[in-house]
Amino acid sequence: MAKAKVAFFDFTCCEGCQIEMTNFGDAAFLELLNHVEIVEFREVMSEKTKEPIDIALVEGSFTREADRKRLEEIRNRAKIVIAYGACAATGGVNALKNHMTDYKEDVYGKDAGMPHLDSQKALPISAAIKVDYCVYGCPMDKYELLRILSHLLHDKEPVIPNYPVCVECKRNGTICRYQEGDHCIGQVARAGCGAPCPADGIPCEACRGFVDKPNEKALKKVLIEKAKFSEKRAESKSRIFSANLRSDAQ
Amino acid sequence: MMNAYFITEKDFKNFVSAMVQSLTVIGPVAKRKKFVFAKLESAEDLRLDYDVTLLPPKKEFFPPSQDMVRFEKDKYEGCISPQEKILLGVHFYDIKAIDMTDRLFREKNEDWNYLANREAATIIGSNIQTISERAFWGTVGKDVPPKGHDGFITKINGGYVYETRGDKGEALVKFGSFAKATDAQVKEARAVNENVMGKCPEKLNRSSKEIAEKVRKAFSKEAFWEALAEDCFSCGSCNIVCPTCYCFDVQDNWNLDQVSGARTRYWDACLTEDFAKVSLGGGATENFREERAERFRHRIMRKASYLNEKLGGPACVGCGRCSAACTSDIADPVNVINKIMEA
Ligand code: SF4
Ligand code: SF4
Ligand code: SF4
Ligand code: SF4
Ligand code: SF4
Repeated sequence: MAKAKVAFFDFTCCEGCQIEMTNFGDAAFLELLNHVEIVEFREVMSEKTKEPIDIALVEGSFTREADRKRLEEIRNRAKIVIAYGACAATGGVNALKNHMTDYKEDVYGKDAGMPHLDSQKALPISAAIKVDYCVYGCPMDKYELLRILSHLLHDKEPVIPNYPVCVECKRNGTICRYQEGDHCIGQVARAGCGAPCPADGIPCEACRGFVDKPNEKALKKVLIEKAKFSEKRAESKSRIFSANLRSDAQ
Repeated sequence: MMNAYFITEKDFKNFVSAMVQSLTVIGPVAKRKKFVFAKLESAEDLRLDYDVTLLPPKKEFFPPSQDMVRFEKDKYEGCISPQEKILLGVHFYDIKAIDMTDRLFREKNEDWNYLANREAATIIGSNIQTISERAFWGTVGKDVPPKGHDGFITKINGGYVYETRGDKGEALVKFGSFAKATDAQVKEARAVNENVMGKCPEKLNRSSKEIAEKVRKAFSKEAFWEALAEDCFSCGSCNIVCPTCYCFDVQDNWNLDQVSGARTRYWDACLTEDFAKVSLGGGATENFREERAERFRHRIMRKASYLNEKLGGPACVGCGRCSAACTSDIADPVNVINKIMEA
């Protein structure tokens, strides 16, 4: 098969997902390069092309109207667009500000009015362009990215779980956080990460966003009744990574 | 061949040590305040006083993820490679469950990915010393005896009675200083196992047959199932921890070289949203259990009614793992079944 032309782009994010790519290690990364040709990757190379690309990997959320044009250009050049990382896929942690109005003053103080700090709501890039696949997670799971790329190279539909993290957590034989008097929101979080957080004894924060139909009402109830959260804390718990996926999304 | 032996408390430890040194022995071990089946590194690891394990012992024959075929270009080979192991300290309800999965994986298409591992295993049961908080094994499928195991250990005064059930169980006797058990010791062991049956914290009040019939009739009570499933997360925890659940999903993955890879199966869960989603071809799909109440009902139907005909008893052995695993605490079969029976 001919090598697929792949390009990386970034928008509003911490670039942590690009760093995660470098964690593949040299051997794995070089093996990957036998199958794809990277034509644009700001973090590691200076070339920029306007050529058509097979797969565009977009990181970061859509937070300024001014970015729409660049996103559209990417879409027009690419056969397949993959949103990778929570920011691009769901708005991620950036969307934590979406229900507030005073975030700029809060964060930047007297500089809040500077023009380069202007941004609107943090949205997934699918709010601007059509996205074909998402690699969820903050940071994304590099093996999931590989799995998706691999399926696409073989012209197969990648399988992205639509079941909660609990499935993987239970398969691991992990003790449920609730059985240790803690809390967790893995019951509404999209699996695919292999449930590493509960395995390490910390709650799942749903960094991969929600399953398609999260039971938010039941989550609030369980957080109050079992984890002894206040109503307010239970209500806002899932905002950290999933603000745009909640039924009260702004 | 059925024989009864006795071994003293002290010699029992040496017996386990001797086995651990020359065989792969899997038994209940502590994981913080819970228990799991794991490979014993020493006799001290073994915790026959466990209440229930997080995952059932079926994972030893049917692991949560299992490679079935490995391929490279157009060459492929099966992954069946059974490892001989001793499962030591399996409670009777899990023995019943293994007997069910044995039959389910054998019927129609024999599933050798399971059966090869199963046949390479020796199963030694043990009596229940501590009762878990959600157990109801004392009142479920009472007329279905545990079978298919190779031996059973019961703790009595001063030591253990070991009853063998065939060659595999008999083959372990050489690892310990066993004496023939006296009639009194065998009687004491029987009493220990009988007495514990009345001690579960939860109870079903009707026979399996009555339950199977009435639960089936409750199928069309839609509002009833909707109310029960209101707090369901479709998280599948109740399936994943269940010793009699046997569904799996199969996926292919390529290695980095993109020419070799494996076909792997994973434990699946019928409570999850996409479990019953099937392809109609051309990218179209159909989900024949789209609502969470339908999926919630399906599990109860399977456990209490549907599988009864095939297995001659309920496909639930009363281990209470699902009840403990469900964060919304709605999965407990006792609550659901008793509600139906009282209606
Ligand atoms: S998804 Fe997380 S790790 Fe990735 S860029 Fe966004 S904030 Fe960073
Ligand atoms: S620890 Fe969290 S993810 Fe794991 S089973 Fe419990 S609720 Fe689910
Ligand atoms: S367990 Fe939860 S928080 Fe941890 S990686 Fe998975 S989705 Fe993210
Ligand atoms: S019944 Fe409980 S354990 Fe089962 S899927 Fe629903 S919430 Fe999860
Ligand atoms: S349905 Fe629940 S109680 Fe019954 S065997 Fe399965 S996990 Fe145990």
